[in-house]
Amino acid sequence: MMGISLCWRRPSAMVDDKRMRTTSGFLWLLSALILLCLVNQVNSQKKGAPHDLKCITNNLQVWDCSWKAPSGAGQGTVYDICIESRSHPCYRLNKTNIKIPALLPGDHEITIHSIHDFGSSRSKFILNEKNVSLIPDTPEIFNLSADFSNSTLYLKWNDKGSAFPHHSNVIWEIKILRKESMELVKLVTLNTALSDEDTVHHWSWVSDMPLECVTHYVGIRCYVDDLHFSGHKEWSDWSPLKNISWTPDSQTKVFPQDKVILVGSDITFCCVSQEKVLSAQIGQTSCPLIHLDGENVAIKIHNISVSENSGTNVVFTTEENIFGTVIFVGYPPDTPQNLNCETHDLKEIICTWSAGRPTALVGPRKTSYTLFESFSEKHVRFKRVDVSTKESYQLLFQMLPNQEIYNFTLNARNPLGRSEAAILVNVTEKVYPHTPTAFKVKDINSTAVTLSWHLPGNFAKINLLCQVEINKTNSAQEWRNVTIKGVENSNYLLVVDKLNPYTIYTFRIRCSTETFWKWSKWSNKKQHLTTEAVPSRGPDTWREWKSDGKNLIIYWKPLPINEANGKILSYNISCSSDEETQSLSEIPDPQHRAEIQLDKNDYIISVVAKNSVGSSPPSKIASMEIPNDDLKIEQTVGMGKGILLTWNYDPNMTCDYVIKWCNSSRAEPCLMDWKKVPVNSTETVIESAPIVAPNFTVEDTSADSILVKWEDIPVEELRGFLRGYLFYFEKGERDTFKMRDLDSGRSDVKVKNITDISQKTLRIADLQGKTSYHLVLRAYTDGGIGPEKSMYVVTKENSVGLIIAILIPVAVAVIVGVVTSILCYRKREWIKETFYPDIPNPENCKALQFQKSVCEGSSALKTLEMNPCTPNNVEVLETRSTVPKIEDTEIISPVAERPEESSDAEPENHVVVSYCPPIIEEEIPNPIVDEAGTASQVIYIDIQSMYQPQAKQEEESEIDPVVGGGYKPQMHLPINSAIEDIAAEDDLDKTAGYRPQANVNTWHLVSPDSPRSTDSNSEIVSFGSPCSINSRQFLIPPKDEDSPKASGGGWSFTNFFQNKPND
Amino acid sequence: MLERPGRSLMQGSRHSVTAPGAFPLCLLTLLVPPLSLAAPISPAEPISQAYSLALYMQKNTSTLLQTYLQHQGSPFSDPGFSAPELQLSSLPAAAVSFKTWHNLDDAERLSRAQGAFLALTQHLQLVGDDQSDLNPGSPILLDQLGAARLRAQGLLGNMGVIMSALGLPIPPEKDTLGFVPFGASAFERKCRGYVVTREYGHWTDRAVRDLALLKAKYPA
Repeated sequence: MMGISLCWRRPSAMVDDKRMRTTSGFLWLLSALILLCLVNQVNSQKKGAPHDLKCITNNLQVWDCSWKAPSGAGQGTVYDICIESRSHPCYRLNKTNIKIPALLPGDHEITIHSIHDFGSSRSKFILNEKNVSLIPDTPEIFNLSADFSNSTLYLKWNDKGSAFPHHSNVIWEIKILRKESMELVKLVTLNTALSDEDTVHHWSWVSDMPLECVTHYVGIRCYVDDLHFSGHKEWSDWSPLKNISWTPDSQTKVFPQDKVILVGSDITFCCVSQEKVLSAQIGQTSCPLIHLDGENVAIKIHNISVSENSGTNVVFTTEENIFGTVIFVGYPPDTPQNLNCETHDLKEIICTWSAGRPTALVGPRKTSYTLFESFSEKHVRFKRVDVSTKESYQLLFQMLPNQEIYNFTLNARNPLGRSEAAILVNVTEKVYPHTPTAFKVKDINSTAVTLSWHLPGNFAKINLLCQVEINKTNSAQEWRNVTIKGVENSNYLLVVDKLNPYTIYTFRIRCSTETFWKWSKWSNKKQHLTTEAVPSRGPDTWREWKSDGKNLIIYWKPLPINEANGKILSYNISCSSDEETQSLSEIPDPQHRAEIQLDKNDYIISVVAKNSVGSSPPSKIASMEIPNDDLKIEQTVGMGKGILLTWNYDPNMTCDYVIKWCNSSRAEPCLMDWKKVPVNSTETVIESAPIVAPNFTVEDTSADSILVKWEDIPVEELRGFLRGYLFYFEKGERDTFKMRDLDSGRSDVKVKNITDISQKTLRIADLQGKTSYHLVLRAYTDGGIGPEKSMYVVTKENSVGLIIAILIPVAVAVIVGVVTSILCYRKREWIKETFYPDIPNPENCKALQFQKSVCEGSSALKTLEMNPCTPNNVEVLETRSTVPKIEDTEIISPVAERPEESSDAEPENHVVVSYCPPIIEEEIPNPIVDEAGTASQVIYIDIQSMYQPQAKQEEESEIDPVVGGGYKPQMHLPINSAIEDIAAEDDLDKTAGYRPQANVNTWHLVSPDSPRSTDSNSEIVSFGSPCSINSRQFLIPPKDEDSPKASGGGWSFTNFFQNKPND
Repeated sequence: MLERPGRSLMQGSRHSVTAPGAFPLCLLTLLVPPLSLAAPISPAEPISQAYSLALYMQKNTSTLLQTYLQHQGSPFSDPGFSAPELQLSSLPAAAVSFKTWHNLDDAERLSRAQGAFLALTQHLQLVGDDQSDLNPGSPILLDQLGAARLRAQGLLGNMGVIMSALGLPIPPEKDTLGFVPFGASAFERKCRGYVVTREYGHWTDRAVRDLALLKAKYPA
């Protein structure tokens, strides 16, 4: 500002000088000159002194001021800078900038005096803090590093805070660029405060793109926001860029590798490749490629879905290769569900829980669980050896002495996160005892028992609550709860009383604790029979005088089981009067009457029942009959099997009524039964037949007998004195209802009357084996027969009968076999011929070795070895069906013609065919060549009859092969080589009948079985080898020829029987 | 005429009986290394046993490969998946030109197969371990891999017996895997499992042919 005023001073002086020199005629020129000069002067004035003073600061402590040098100032220019108001205000230097300590706020005059070779100039500036710019030093990146596995960049830089005089805020701006084309990926601003010291700042950034695939560049700049500084604040320059790139260290080409991420995340995969990547896919989905530097590519996946156990595959395909990675997409562990802790024995706490939502992560990535107890600060870790499919977990925690309350925290953790569940338990309230073991019952007395059991667990400090289940046959279950003081891991005893004597009980027990949580499982059941007790009551007694009036018959009824308290063994009876006492003792149980001779009428009769423990209280009855004349029976009405009886009410009666009845058809005394009726009733129904049938079971069955066992009928249901049992049995299945009327005396129903009522078993004998029987049992009293109970039983199999049944067919089979064998042996020849003729193995056929022999130049004798071509073939083919027969006619027709021609050559053709069988027949049964016609030769008589001359020739040839005319072809064969085959054939046509053999080539060219060989007109071809099938076909005789051979060759059974007489 | 079909029927039935029946026997006997190398036994018997085992193995190889691929997720589990370009340097490839194969002599043929099944045995163990990390909840796959390893081991034993019967030196057992496989990524594990199960099939096929050739050469 001052500079401008200086400039204007000097031009005004110059204008004055020019005005003096110029004339008025050149005004326009002058004005133009003035303008030019003005500009020039201004410029020269400006350049002639220091100008454009600018000050900046980067730390607020030092201002860096610079100015423009005056024009013409050279190297040697020296500047004097003077700052007003300074104690040492002037500096001398030879450069155009100066660092001065920061000036106080307000205007400061600065004079710059430049001295150079051709003059000097002076400039004045007014400098104020407001004109100073604050531009911080360019920050420098101290360190840039990367964690490739997490795609994270770490940046470190120094804020150089010590350079600043006071605390001020700093804004940092960091830019991240990617690819060689420097695409800006991220721009972040960070705020920090400067302290007195240099501070190293850290910053990290997670890249969405794996760092391996593309180079990342980082730059930083800052802005110091100092509140005390009034000047202009500016951003620093960007720091030099630092970059992070990856040097391949393995085969891995696709990133990230084996990462575990949350379902629904976005993720970028990239592939480092030298070749062009053609496609990329995640799972089955193809993805568009994002091209990076070089051939590297990336794909971006949004909202990734959950993967299967082995992870989701990401595959990049190039021309020649595939690269891939696996990503495991899952969930963090769910909060453990249903966490519950309880104890069986107060020694160990068992905590169970379920995992909740599946994480879809398995193997090394699966959820791990730790159970932590906060009071004791102990923890247990869940170790699962195998993978459970139910996802139900359990951990054991050892209880600590003197600790009852446990605060459990279950931590679940997997690579994606963690969760926890907590439970506070008072373990004494969470006892689920083990099942009681070693459960035993011991008698105390007839109405009480001791139960004992073992219950493992440390229950010394608590009370147990146990429940006993008491089961009695034919009565309701009963439960009794007991509280027992717990003991340390021991046996427990419990007394159960109020039981009935001589009764079968079934006990079992379960336990819990007083602070009920859960019942244990029930222990095993134990059945127990309580001991006997003295019968609680005397038997119900009655007496009846015999008609003679001297003998008294005493009746008593058996005691019901609940009053007998045991098994009644006997009864004691005593009759006592004032003077004497008569007694009958030890009357055994099933007997329920006794007779006693009394001469007086005034006795008291007492009956006592005895069991093993003791005697019942006596039941007493006077021998004298009480007069009952006042009692009138008003009505007797028959009701089904009973009689309704009513009588008049007599108020004088004080005790009971006794009703007795008897079968009037019998003589006196005919007491059947009696019944006591309370005194206030005037009617009753009397019935006397049992109302139930005895329960019976089959103890044992055999082939011819059944052993049956039955039980007593309870006294209450017998209604009278048991007289016996009726047992019916008959053959019958369950489904048939034959035994409708048992009493009708059907003959097929057998009845046994068991009158000995102490008898409880019966063996039914003389039954049939393996037969179903219908068994029926009924009980009867004098009053009638009770209902029936029936059962079906199958007797066992009769083993003897079975053995016989097996032996007879076996014996028959053996006999038949033996007879057949003998028959077959005797007819073996015929059978062999018929069913199992020898079939030559072509491989064994020496005729096939013919060529070889030819080559070896063997003699004619060799040809005879063609014998193994067995004539049996002839037999087989005779029996063949139509197809061979057609061939027969074709082949045989020339045979019929040839004998007529009687030429040498023609018959010899047939000889070829026939010659083989006779020889074989001779060779097989008789290895020594025999001229005589053997039995085997007879078989071939039909054929031989046709070719008889040849057969003879053949035999001759064996003796003298060289002479034998019929064997000429064989003689010729050695000569017949491949070279001269045509000539040889010609020869053969004339001289020998063995052309097929001579034509060696045809054997190779034409398969014996092929149609060509049979269709061909050529005899040579059609005849083929003598051993071949062709030969056999040729040998089949005409159908119409009646030969024994032909008939014998059939397969029918009629042939079998026809041949029998022949043999 | 009567005999011929009868004989062929008998041959046929005898053949079909021996193949499945002989397997557990030869597996048992041949897991035990031959004790007396000095006294060569007839090669026909071990060749026949090995052939039966190889035939038996051949029936299961494609199932193993399919089961394996099904458990690796797409694209492995996609129908018709095939990546012939994937190979393992530690595992010799079974593919060989017919001419080369045919011109192999017994010693070369057997030692190649023996070496391959030795490598396969070790690789199948590795694949089993890999899969118990990747597919711990798939007992079917793990069982099949275990069974394949046992069978490969059985066939390896058979090869040894045949070689000793033929008087050929048995190569010493070596570690074909080395230190390479540890720290492999899941994808590499899946790929090498694929290569191993695939090559197991190929080598089994080749062993069947090798043994058929030897069987014809050394009839019983």
